[in-house]
Amino acid sequence: MLSYATDAVASIDGLRVIGTAKEKAGVLSFVFDQIHAHDVGTILDQEGVAVRAGHHCAMPVMQRFGVPATTRASFAFYNTIEEVDVLARAIERVLKVFH
Amino acid sequence: MSELDELYQEVILDHNRSPRNYRAMADANHKAEGYNPLCGDHVTVFVRLENGVIQDISFQGSGCAISKASASMMTDELKGKNEATAQALFDNVHKMLTGDESDEQVADKVGKLQILSGVCKFPARVKCASLAWHTVNAALKGESQPASTE
Repeated sequence: MLSYATDAVASIDGLRVIGTAKEKAGVLSFVFDQIHAHDVGTILDQEGVAVRAGHHCAMPVMQRFGVPATTRASFAFYNTIEEVDVLARAIERVLKVFH
Repeated sequence: MSELDELYQEVILDHNRSPRNYRAMADANHKAEGYNPLCGDHVTVFVRLENGVIQDISFQGSGCAISKASASMMTDELKGKNEATAQALFDNVHKMLTGDESDEQVADKVGKLQILSGVCKFPARVKCASLAWHTVNAALKGESQPASTE
């Protein structure tokens, strides 16, 4: 599911995936250059997608890499591939709001 | 208009894209930093106050669209105002953002800033919008501790 989700969002214009280790947990963090994670989080929330946005209690590492905040989707056994598609569409909505 | 459209209105997006008065001010005589530790928004507000009137005001910082737009509109609105008027505006904006007073109640008290009233429907974003205001308040009062929305 993680690789499906990574492929689904990586092609979105302006989106950069944070964390590309081979053996990583089922989380997908990403940033946009011009759109802050909290704006992304609010819009995804309105689209029915729950994500975490901000420092994720890891402010030092964010500072180290010069990232103000990230948006993070986490996957668990109860999530479905269809929900990943909903996430990808919701991210497209973010781009529409910020054209 | 949906709640989301009301939050991200064109005017707000425009202030986010091209924030007004976004610069450091060398001859500022009041300055304060504002920091929202939970979300990482950070703003510095510079004020040149002469005879109790805000002659010039500017800001710098990083944050989300709401915090940047709110800071930008605030500088536009406060320039040329005296301290008492600025304080009254701060109080009214705060009431609007937290939903303490309805749109109708604050309409003639906050002027153009009413465009930010959509924020009160998003409790998690109220602090984004109020950070710059807390910071200018701290600057005018000469507080040395960074302003915080916590």
